[in-house]
Amino acid sequence: MREAWRLALRDLRAGGRGLWLLALCLFLGTAALGGIGSLSASILGALEAQSRAMLGGDLEMRVSQRRATVEENAAFAAAGTVSEIVRTRAMAERIDGHGATLVSLKAVDDYWPLVGRFRMQPGGRPHGLQVAIAPALAERLGLQIGDHIRLGLARLRIVGIIASDPDSLGEGFNLGPTVLIDPAGLDATGLIQPGSLYESRYRLSLPSTTSATRLGKQFIDLFPSAGWTARTPVEAAGSLRQAISQLGQFLLLVGLAALAIAGIGVGSGVSAYLARKTRIIATLKVLGARSDLIAKMFLIQLGLLAGGGIAAGLLVGACVPLIVAKLAGNALPVAPQLGVYPLPLAVAAALGVLVTLLFALPALARARSVPAATLLRDAIMPLRRPTFAVLASMALLLGLLVALAVLTASDRPIALGFVGATIALVAGLWLLGGLLRLGLGRIPRPRGTLVRLALANLHRPGAQTDRLVVALGLGFSLFVALAAIDTSLSSEIHAGAPAKAPRFFVIDLQPQDEARFRATVQGAAAGARVETVPSLRGAIVALNGRRVADMRALPEGAWILRGDRTITWSPTVPPRNRVTEGRWWPSNYRGLPLVSIEDRAARLLGLHVGDTITVAVLGVEVPARIAALRSVDWGGLGLNFALVFSPGYIEEAPHSLLASVYAPAVRDGPIAQAVGKTLPSVTMVRTGDVIGKIGDMLAQIALAIRAAAAVTIASGIVVLVGAVTASGQARRYDVMILKLLGASRRQVLLGQALEHLLLSAILAGVALVVGGIAGWYVVTQVFALRWAPDTSTIAGILALSIMITLAVGTFSSLPALRARPAQGLHEL
Amino acid sequence: MEILHEIDLAVTAADSVALLGPSGSGKSSLMALLAGLEQPTAGNVIVDGLDFSRLDENGLAVARRGRIGIVLQAFHLLPTMTALENVAVPLELAGVRDAFIRAEAELAAVGLAHRLHHYPAQLSGGEQQRVAIARALAPRPALLFADEPTGNLDAATGAAIMDLLFARHRETGATLFIITHDARLAERCARIIELRDGRIVADRRRR
Repeated sequence: MREAWRLALRDLRAGGRGLWLLALCLFLGTAALGGIGSLSASILGALEAQSRAMLGGDLEMRVSQRRATVEENAAFAAAGTVSEIVRTRAMAERIDGHGATLVSLKAVDDYWPLVGRFRMQPGGRPHGLQVAIAPALAERLGLQIGDHIRLGLARLRIVGIIASDPDSLGEGFNLGPTVLIDPAGLDATGLIQPGSLYESRYRLSLPSTTSATRLGKQFIDLFPSAGWTARTPVEAAGSLRQAISQLGQFLLLVGLAALAIAGIGVGSGVSAYLARKTRIIATLKVLGARSDLIAKMFLIQLGLLAGGGIAAGLLVGACVPLIVAKLAGNALPVAPQLGVYPLPLAVAAALGVLVTLLFALPALARARSVPAATLLRDAIMPLRRPTFAVLASMALLLGLLVALAVLTASDRPIALGFVGATIALVAGLWLLGGLLRLGLGRIPRPRGTLVRLALANLHRPGAQTDRLVVALGLGFSLFVALAAIDTSLSSEIHAGAPAKAPRFFVIDLQPQDEARFRATVQGAAAGARVETVPSLRGAIVALNGRRVADMRALPEGAWILRGDRTITWSPTVPPRNRVTEGRWWPSNYRGLPLVSIEDRAARLLGLHVGDTITVAVLGVEVPARIAALRSVDWGGLGLNFALVFSPGYIEEAPHSLLASVYAPAVRDGPIAQAVGKTLPSVTMVRTGDVIGKIGDMLAQIALAIRAAAAVTIASGIVVLVGAVTASGQARRYDVMILKLLGASRRQVLLGQALEHLLLSAILAGVALVVGGIAGWYVVTQVFALRWAPDTSTIAGILALSIMITLAVGTFSSLPALRARPAQGLHEL
Repeated sequence: MEILHEIDLAVTAADSVALLGPSGSGKSSLMALLAGLEQPTAGNVIVDGLDFSRLDENGLAVARRGRIGIVLQAFHLLPTMTALENVAVPLELAGVRDAFIRAEAELAAVGLAHRLHHYPAQLSGGEQQRVAIARALAPRPALLFADEPTGNLDAATGAAIMDLLFARHRETGATLFIITHDARLAERCARIIELRDGRIVADRRRR
């Protein structure tokens, strides 16, 4: 081994030229993987650490459209310290009646927050007819401390601007800026009416010996029909954690793509490097070196360079959380918990090592078997087929690689699909390269010397066509896929509301105010269309008599069973709905409650027409037979419901109306103002605001993807340049001879350009198909968005890739072209 | 493809033999067999009591150590190693402890004591070939092969190299094979074997 080390180090004095490409590829690949993994881990770590603050206690009990009863309050208080929070949405406006804005109203008692710190900047806590408001609202309405705003029926003085609100993160999707108020202030607004959509939350701080999960279950069992939902800190962070691990998983796949491309770079880098070492290997063998010494020597060199690349990549990857926190701290949902996360780094390192070995093995095996007699002859070495041992080792490495990539993924089926598709793509491209060589060799020789030369360069013995096809094909496909994903996301962000979407959603419209509301809207925008539906909150508590609370594990994706949902009733099939199974009730039906469920939700729960579900509405359990399943077009942003009841019994429950307003966009202002004046307790949600909020989230996701993609694209370009340069070096000889025979520089360059143009044009076609399919899958299946790639961007990116290939391919022979023939031949 | 036919050749130790013939006559192929660089498709090659035809590639590599020295027309020095390291490599591969001391002595013997730490690119063609000779002789081989050793050198340097080669042959007692198409060069050897189309057409001793 010492011998191998000595020879390896002496040989590296030449600088290991060619292996730098490999180190760079591995650096990019492991930096991407390690960085993404570390970032996800640091954000998930922060969520873990902050989950109690996010929930605002050790246990939260939630109920809709009512406050806790005296008995319930007593039960909570017996368990620990209790803080009550009431949350609803409302319209805030300046005292002069301008700037009606949807806000997220949060009424908190004196115990709030039980966990974490609430900070004002500046100002104090609101009491009575006072509020504290989020900076966004102050900015939008031009308000400052001491000013007044109107909320429902109350005129409230602003006493503080909220700097940090510890539990806001765990509260989920907020449509408007937060307004903080105390219970007395909330009463003064008159917003809480029977049937209003609001939520009461009771946070409990528990002794450390109490299990929050068990206690929550006990409360639900104690008040079985009261519609309570219990949440623990783990669950509070749950949806965000899931969203982050999903995004992290997708980004890891992008990172894996970078590593796969790095593998191609490793393969072509090592291959080109060892090809240049043929004479040295043969010389060493003449001097008595055994094959395994040769293999060890190059393995050491490879290990040094690859190890350096991987180590540097890990170092950068470990710093990614810090870098992202510095650059984009505010854009993140939680600040990453800084630290070194060994697991993602170790996985990235192991994947890097496996990829290096897998792709370098064939070239190493070839180098090992270079015969000593090569020194006596200049003939092209016959291409030996890999031996069984080499093939078996490669299969083992590939198996380990796939296992590691899949087992460490949070979404294993997607990871497996991705890895499988990548392997299939590489194999397919390899095959295509072989077919191309075979096919080009068979076609009749063209007359033009340059074309003939270009074609011959692609199929002659020793041509690097198959390697180039794989590198270019993979790189181009990746560029196309990323461009398609990026432009689809962008189009979603910029598309705004669909044309047929309503301008406003209206919440908390009291049934007795419906006529006045319609008249007000008509007055502000003649011809406007108003759709109203009754709405109330209810939770499914049993399926066919089986209590949901007793179910061990809820079916995957059974969101409909979690917490309570908005439900409605209707005599007829609602607009944008279609009955797919069963029959709708007659419009004058007044019998026992019937219900219609959205068909996908029913499928998930295994429910059929004729089954029974029990829904708790304001503490009353309503069993209902399923009469029909419906498919719902959610795309138009109209008012749609998963659960629709038959009229009759359920109408007796206190409820409010939900309305949607369809009007020309220019009437938005007048409508909002008129409704704000006549019905101040009605909440108007501008569709554009919802879309904007979703757009903001998508923009953040797109940014994260773009950052990960940039690394992948960078490694793609490095590999592209490396592969083309490597094949260019193999062609220096031809260039030299051509020049010697009198070919002009222009002729030689043209021949090279032709060759690369031909190859990259074919691969651009392949990439359009492969990258298109991959992009479509990610956009429609992973992100569930519209497939709307921008064809001109994709075409531009492909054109750019072709140009880079052409430029690198053509100009890599420039040194050979510049050399004087005598000098050049001397070097050969 | 059959390159050599009916070759039946025995060479005594410490002899100097020229394999003479035009291009394509098979002289380099014969040398490749004798030096253990390639294996015969039929027949045996027994060198220094060892049957080369029974060894695989790795076995041949080990067999060459300390037994075979080769000097080639294109020198084939390792470009990343100094003259001293180049000469030491075969000794190191054979596990010789004082490889560098012996390599230094060997370089001194070919008149390059002052060029020990130069890289091949810093040496003239003649100097490079001297390093190659030192490298070939350092492990004290029983057989020394020189394949067109002066082909890349001018006449004066070539003559000096040949003088050196024969001097070292006499000093070390190694059996010397010169592979050449140059009849005048061949005439300096004690035995001259002529090849044509893969056959030995003449085998004579110089008087």
